[in-house]
Amino acid sequence: MEISFGDFLMSNLTQFWHFTGFYNATWEHFVMLGVGLFFIWLAIKKDFEPMLLVPIGFGILIGNIPFNTHAGLEIGIYEEGSVLNILYNGVSAGWYPPLIFLGIGAMTDFSALIANPKLMLIGAAAQFGIFGAYMVALAIGFEPDQAGAIAIIGGADGPTAIFLSSKLAPNLMGAIAVSAYSYMALVPVIQPPIMRLLTTKNERLIKMKPARAVSQNEKIIFPIVGMLLTCFVVPSGLPLLGMLFFGNLLRECGVTTRLAKTASNALTDIVTILLGMTVGASTQATTFLTPETIFIFFLGFMAFIIASASGVCFVKIFNIFLPKAKKINPLIGNAGVSAVPMSARISNNLGLEYDPSNYLLMHAMGPNVAGVIGSAVAAGALLGFLA
Amino acid sequence: MKKNVLLLIIALFCCGMAASAQGRAALRINEVMVVNDSNAMDDFGKRHGWIELFNSNHAPMEISSVYITNDPENPKKYPVPLGDVNTRIPKRQHVIFWADGQPSRGTFHLNFILEEGKDNWIGVYDANGITLIDSVTIPAKLGRNQSYARTQDGAGVWEIRNDVGEKYITPSSNNVIRDQNDKIAMFKERDKNGFAMTIMAMAIVFSALLILCLCFLAISKIGESIARKNKLQAQGIAHDSIDDHDAVGHDTGEEIAAIAMALRDHFDAHDQESTILTINKVRRSYSPWSSKIYNMRHLPK
Repeated sequence: MEISFGDFLMSNLTQFWHFTGFYNATWEHFVMLGVGLFFIWLAIKKDFEPMLLVPIGFGILIGNIPFNTHAGLEIGIYEEGSVLNILYNGVSAGWYPPLIFLGIGAMTDFSALIANPKLMLIGAAAQFGIFGAYMVALAIGFEPDQAGAIAIIGGADGPTAIFLSSKLAPNLMGAIAVSAYSYMALVPVIQPPIMRLLTTKNERLIKMKPARAVSQNEKIIFPIVGMLLTCFVVPSGLPLLGMLFFGNLLRECGVTTRLAKTASNALTDIVTILLGMTVGASTQATTFLTPETIFIFFLGFMAFIIASASGVCFVKIFNIFLPKAKKINPLIGNAGVSAVPMSARISNNLGLEYDPSNYLLMHAMGPNVAGVIGSAVAAGALLGFLA
Repeated sequence: MKKNVLLLIIALFCCGMAASAQGRAALRINEVMVVNDSNAMDDFGKRHGWIELFNSNHAPMEISSVYITNDPENPKKYPVPLGDVNTRIPKRQHVIFWADGQPSRGTFHLNFILEEGKDNWIGVYDANGITLIDSVTIPAKLGRNQSYARTQDGAGVWEIRNDVGEKYITPSSNNVIRDQNDKIAMFKERDKNGFAMTIMAMAIVFSALLILCLCFLAISKIGESIARKNKLQAQGIAHDSIDDHDAVGHDTGEEIAAIAMALRDHFDAHDQESTILTINKVRRSYSPWSSKIYNMRHLPK
């Protein structure tokens, strides 16, 4: 049967209309687009972790453009072979986070930790936030593997959270990643009240001895010994710990400056862009707007509070056993969560608030970088037990 | 030169060892059926005895050019042919070889058969025909349509299976059939509130960082003592004549800075450095040829 030219035009235009976002949009899409815009606003106007929230926020916009999923256009992040799907492989197969860790290693100066190794224990204590949240997640009714993936938010380490959730609960990864990065951005809001609540005025005034100078040899030995020891204890943490310490060796050995610069600048920037954008794009309305997401945000918040509180409380207990001259200011306890260097900066700011001559930044950097190692070890332990 | 060559040889040896450790050594004979009347059929619709090989690696394995044999005197009896894409076994997966004595039927048809009522020795050799990767002797008592299988894929002891109860015969499938992750099921059943996980994982985190802490306390002590010794040696001072307070490592950064400033102020003295950093403005007469402004690209504002 022959169709008229007008019918031909109309049928094609109708077909095109069915492909458009306007036709396929649901209220969930608009909610998610609103979330994406909110993230971008937070980053640009409020300066909350802009390096992360801009890519994640724009990724949410990209991932929530409504389209006809049955048309086989190969454009969605979950459609095999699409460009976004190829970029998303770094998240789903878990190889972006180790690359970020390489950059973190190349950026991080572990001197504060090497000068005062006992601060490592604060980094360990703060990981209790992870397991506190694990227990609550089990009580709410999550499966052990899902609970482990959600609880890692308490480590305050985005790449670790993405790495572990991609292995244990890939379906929750979007919500976990967004939750982890959101709370990392909110560290300046969450931590100070907890620190004030758990410390006395006298404790906040404790002045710590300046850290000793660390030799170049010690800085070179640290990543080698650190990698060997931690990975022998938790081989499942190898991708994260191996890359972290490798990056640090590039930085400290003195003969690979160019590589260290690339790892800490160009490589980290590239991976951060791809990671942030694809994590954002993975939060599609159908998988993100569920009651589970609300629970994940609640558990993430709890994990941050428990982690910060346990770091501060551990220092207070630790001080009982230390001589007066070597007491630690409990305001650096919050820095045991691995939001580097934000939580160390908070320790410093709070210390200066009570004594303008009490600079805690370098002391707080010790537990802060120990927190990075600690959260990677905790992730390795969870992976070993549950994968 | 000799030292470099030696280092190169050691490095090559290490690489070779690492490569072989991750190579076909993980290939396992997983399950065998000698007489097959009612079990799996080949792609010609015929039944024969079969040998299942399992890749116990967590990476794909290419098995072309390995040898499968039932004669220890003739390790190169059946070479797995090159050029068949199906000889690449995915991680933790299987392939079946039919013991029908008809290699012309394809890659997976062996040039020998397994004999009923006798012990059947089966071996898999690496491409050199010398390195035995895996072997098993199938007992003569194995009945018709029974298989001789490992209790776990690629590991465990061997047992006779007869498709009764849980002793499934599983050609080209896992010997152990799982419908859930055992670890998660165990935690779900035995650690409902998460206390055990918390205790174990926190113990692991603490021990990892405690070991690192102790190690670096020791390293810093050794480093300090070496630095002190070297400095005293350089100054020609006997170690015993220095009391602890004066020793190297007890000076804080502030003390060192104060001493340096005092020396600079009163004596205009420097320590050991051969050069002096000065920050003085250098005056140069202007010329458009030496001006940077003409040599640089301007960024849009």
